[in-house]
Formats: sequence, structure tokens, C-alpha cells
Amino acid sequence: MGCAIVAALVAVRGNHEGCLCDARGISGKETRIAMGTQLAPSSTQETPALPVSVMIRTENLWKTYDMGEAIAVHALSGVTFEIDRGEYVAIMGPSGSGKSTLMNLIGCLDTPTSGKYWLNGQLVSELSDDELAYIRNKEIGFVFQTFNLLSRASALHNVELPLVYSGVPAKERLEKAQEALRKVDLVERMNHKPNELSGGQRQRVAIARALVNSPSIILADEPTGNLDSATGEEIMEVFERLYEGGNTIVLVTHEHDIAAHAHRIIHVRDGKIERDESVK
Amino acid sequence: MAQRCGRPPLTPLSKEGNHLGSILVAVLSQSQAPPMRPDSRARRKSGFWVTSREAFWIALETLRTHKLRSFLTLLGVVIATTTLIVVMSIINGMNLYIADHIANLGANVFILSQYDWSATGEDWMKMQRRNKAIRIEDFEYLRDNVKGYKNIGAEADLGGSDVKYKSRILHEVEVSGETPNMIDIGQAKVGAGRYLNDTDYAHESMVCFIGQDLVTEFFPSLDPLDKEINVSGIQFRVIGVAARIGTTFGQSQDKFVQIPLTTFRKIFRARPNLAVDVQAWDAQQMMVLEDEVRALMRARRHLPYHDTDNFGINASETIMGLWHQLTASIFAVTVGIVAVFMVVGGIVIMNIMLASVTERTHEIGIRKSLGARRSDIMMQFIIEASVMALAGGAAGVLISLFVSKIVSIFFTASVPLSAVLVGLFLSTAVGLFFGIYPASKAANLEPIEALRTEA
Repeated sequence: MGCAIVAALVAVRGNHEGCLCDARGISGKETRIAMGTQLAPSSTQETPALPVSVMIRTENLWKTYDMGEAIAVHALSGVTFEIDRGEYVAIMGPSGSGKSTLMNLIGCLDTPTSGKYWLNGQLVSELSDDELAYIRNKEIGFVFQTFNLLSRASALHNVELPLVYSGVPAKERLEKAQEALRKVDLVERMNHKPNELSGGQRQRVAIARALVNSPSIILADEPTGNLDSATGEEIMEVFERLYEGGNTIVLVTHEHDIAAHAHRIIHVRDGKIERDESVK
Repeated sequence: MAQRCGRPPLTPLSKEGNHLGSILVAVLSQSQAPPMRPDSRARRKSGFWVTSREAFWIALETLRTHKLRSFLTLLGVVIATTTLIVVMSIINGMNLYIADHIANLGANVFILSQYDWSATGEDWMKMQRRNKAIRIEDFEYLRDNVKGYKNIGAEADLGGSDVKYKSRILHEVEVSGETPNMIDIGQAKVGAGRYLNDTDYAHESMVCFIGQDLVTEFFPSLDPLDKEINVSGIQFRVIGVAARIGTTFGQSQDKFVQIPLTTFRKIFRARPNLAVDVQAWDAQQMMVLEDEVRALMRARRHLPYHDTDNFGINASETIMGLWHQLTASIFAVTVGIVAVFMVVGGIVIMNIMLASVTERTHEIGIRKSLGARRSDIMMQFIIEASVMALAGGAAGVLISLFVSKIVSIFFTASVPLSAVLVGLFLSTAVGLFFGIYPASKAANLEPIEALRTEA
């Protein structure tokens, strides 16, 4: 009875799956039926009852590369873990450990060979190309080691790019982009091109870009790898601020000093999780 | 455990009493939680224009930063468009010219003559053998038996002759014998004096009506009327001067001497080959009269039913028909040239776009990681190719305007809007078509692979 009232309220407000009714232990499928929303074929799987707080959940993820002649390279060999909303997690390991592969899977840049991955309650591992693109646009904010900014566009245009692919009109884009730049203290430089900015400033533009569409998680791959230690510390401070503001942050790194900023470190080696420790 | 979100927190579920209320609050105050299912239709609608505009600006920017490369790429398209428009302009100019100067036999006038002016090749050879001249008897017969015409006149040509006055001489003057009503039917108009009249005709008078070129040559500061000129060895008195007509394809239309047809027969040719000019009251009646004249002539010459005419009935349509035959072949050749250049130009564009895609693989990876779908990338590159080609087309239009201006100084050219539109449309279509393959290659890049590529 209570669920019916909730369902009605939510229906009035609009499409919103996965968060509320799951809390009461009702399966995702029943929730969606109650809300009268259409089911995409891929999500008719029975979703186990997830607490509302779980952002990322993987189950036995494998990623295998076929090198021909019956030689298969296993980049990931059965990875299972969970990350809650609002957590600050570092994934750490030496090169070749599979951490980058894991990041690509989490960030929906790639699909696993086998295993399941739920992002915000939705089974992602079996989505179509366009749906993955949508998730990359709305749910995930990437920050790369090499910044990956468009060199011929201004900082402002770089930041508003995710909004362009969301179909947001120009005026609104401008406001949101400026807001994002404000959060990283870079509004005065918004019309500068990347080659007119320092390394630290470029990374901050990348972070603003990652933030602009209010994603569920921020995924950072060696964000300080191309910066000196002082600038690196500045960037880590930005991440700290974002964490305090409530963002979920997943950091991938091979440096212990950087990983130590996080509140939880998942150690990865040879494609498996070696250790999962809370550090703060 | 307190939840930390950028959004208003959902309270934990432990407190039953407040449970519904807190959920209510959470529901009503949450503004940022995203819908999980891709709302693709709405995104696609507004997204299409936004990403298209983005693609458009990227295309212009690319053109701007790689001016030389763009120029070389678009050369094929530019040449094709220019050729198309310039040829169309020349043809258009000539059409207007012809319609004004030549096809204007006079309103609602058709001419019965020995040959059909529009015949070509084999037909023409046959005509040379079969067709008989039109004689004065034919003219008189038609004059008396055709009903309802506005006017019927006849003219006979001597060809180019020498005309002298005092010590001056003009060569290649068109000398012809005319019936008096030819002033109403033909092109010439009276400028000074009068035209040949019935009295002149009846008396076979030695009078003439001259064109402006003779006035310029013989009588620059004199009054030409009543002066005697020597036409092909014979003296004639000038009784009238024509108003200036002008030139057609560089040939002056004012170099003529007209005398009464009767005089012509007495002095030059006893049995001349005539052209009979029939003037109708309106265009419709003209067609009726054409049929009537044809029928009468066929009967008169006892032509069996299945035989073709052994005379020619020529109207403005005949001339325009002749003209359109000519322009049709010119146009066909042009289409061939334009098509070849467009295809070549298109292939060059495709080649450059492929190179561009390879060059920007890293950029494409970045865009995909930010949420660009296959269709977004595809659209970006197709629009780029189309805009580039359109720019080439526009350049072609500008060049062709310039070239047409120059041509119209020496000859004639008038740029028709339809040619410009066809040129622009064709260029864009070529860009679009040849851009599809590179665009699909770009769209199908794997995001990770693309990101790993060196920028």
C-alpha cells in the first residue's frame, strides 16, 4: 500500500527508476511495473535487491583479448566489488595489473567479455552502443592523465561539449559551463585555448568538463601523471572538494601517494583484486 | 551511515514513522537525479540541431585553418560548378538574344519558302533535290484563295550586291523586291520619307527604300530623300529611309535596299524565287493559316498523301526549334564535362576526409568518451564534407558570375537563377555522398582505440 502511494508520487514527478522502491526490498522489475514504465529487453534480468546507496556493482568481470593462435590474454580475471554513492575510491596497481582495463569497463568505454556490471542499478554490460554513449554523457565524467582536451577549442567550449551531445541549447550550455568552471576556479580563463594554459589549469578544465553534466561518478585515470608534485597536490585538493560536495570519485593510479588521498583503496594485480582496504 | 550526495539526502529507512513523509520530501525536492533510461527521442530531436550547428562551425573552422588544402580539395567541384553556370549563362543569354532579334519574324508571321530552315542532314539533302521554288503565281494563288489573313506579302532576294553613290561604294548590300504591304509585315520601319506604295508597284517605278547603313555611308550630312543611287548597275531614286534596326550576331541588319517586286522582276529576275510572308491576326489563327497554306500548296503541286512537303513553312518556332537543337547538344556535352569534374571532385573530397578522419582519430575518441553517439560523429563528418563542397560550389558561383560578366562584353551571357541553385545543390550533394564513407569510418571507431592514438 505504501509502495503504491510512492509509485503514484513518483509517476507524477516523472521517470525515476531504481532508487526508491528498491529501498524497501522490492525488486527492480516490480518497481518498474508499478511505475508503468517500459522495460528495455536487456533490463528484464532479475536485479537483486540493491541498497539505494550502491553506485557501481560488478560481478565476476572478465576481459579477454584474443591474440590469435589460441593465445588469450586475460586483462581481468573475475573482478567483483561494489562502490557506494559518495565514496572516494582509488584503484591501485602496477602497470599491466588491469586497472586501466577496469576503468574502461567502469566508464563504459568498453564492454566485458563476461560478467555483469551495474551502474546506478542498471545492468550496463549488455547495453547497445548508443545507450553506452548516453551513459558516458550523463552518468560518467572522465578525467584523463593527458587531459584530452580539444586543442582548437577554447576552455569554455571544451567544458560545454558534453552538453552539446546532450542536446542542451546554447544559452543554458553557457551558464552551466561557466558554473562548472567557477567550481574549479577557472572562469577568468574560459576563452583561452588549452595551449595557453598550464598543465594544472588544463586538468582543471578537464575536471570542469567532467562535472558539467552532473554525472553520477567522476572517473580519473592517473590525473596527476603529467603534472609536477605541487600542481598534482592542487588537483588532488580539487578532488577532495568534489568529494566533500557529495560526488562519487573513482581514481586509478599506480602511485601510493596519490591513492592515499582516497578513503578506500582497491589493490589490483594480475587482473584480480588483491586487497580492499579503507584508509580513512 | 549518513549519505553524502550533492542532492538532498534520502533519510535512512530505519525510522518507520517518518518513512513515507521523508520519501515525499526526497521525491519532491530531488531535482538532479537522472532518469536511467536513455530518453532518446527527446535527446535526438533537440540534439540534432545542436550537434549539427556544432558540426557546421567545426566545418567552417577546418576550412579556415587549412585554406590551401581546402582550395586544392575543392578544385574539381569549383571547376564543375563554374563550367555549368557559365555555359548555362551563355545559352541563356543567347536564348534571350535569339528571341529578341532573330525569332522575331514579326508578330504572328510565318513564311512560305522553298526550303524548311530547320532541316538537317539527310532531310536537307533530300530537299535540295525535291523542293521547288515559290513563284509569283503561287503568291497570287494564295493571296486570292487563303481566307482570313491579316496580310500576305512576298519578297525576292538578289543577294549581296554593290551599291554606289557618287564616288562611294558599299559591298554586300541585301537587295530585295517587296510587295508594298511588307512594311506592315516585316522588321523594317519607316524612319524618314515613305515606304514603297501601290503606285510604285503598279508602275514598276525605279524607286527604293534604304537601310540606315547606306545613310551613314552615302549621306552623312545630307538628306537622302530623292537622291539617286546605283544599285547593281541600275539607278534608283530614294523615297524612304528605314529606322535603325541593329546587329544580330555581329551582322548589321541595316544594310539593305528594297524596291518594288514588280520592278525587281522587270530589272533583275523575271521569275524570282519568292518568300511569301503571311501575317495572321493572332497566334492561334496563325497555326490555322499555316495548315491552310500547306494544304493549298500540296494540292496545287499535286503531292500524294504520303509524300513530305516540297516547300518550307517557317515560323518563329522553326527558328527556335533549330536553336534548341543546337543548345541541346551543347548542353549535353556540358553535362558530361560537369559530371566528370563533379565525380573527380567528389573522390578528392572523400580522400581528404579519410585523411582528416585519420588525423583526428584521437579527437573522435575524446568526443565519444564525452557521449557522442555513432550518429553524432557520422553527422559531424557528413556535414563537414557537405559544407566544404557547398563552399566550393559557392566559390564556383562567384567565379562564374565574374566570367559571365566578361563574356557578356564580347558576346552574350546572362546568369539564370536556376543554374546557380542547381550548381549549389549539386555541389552539396556530391559532398554529402562522397562524405558518407569517411564519416562511417569515423563513426565506427572504437573509443578506447581512438583515445590511445597519438593526437
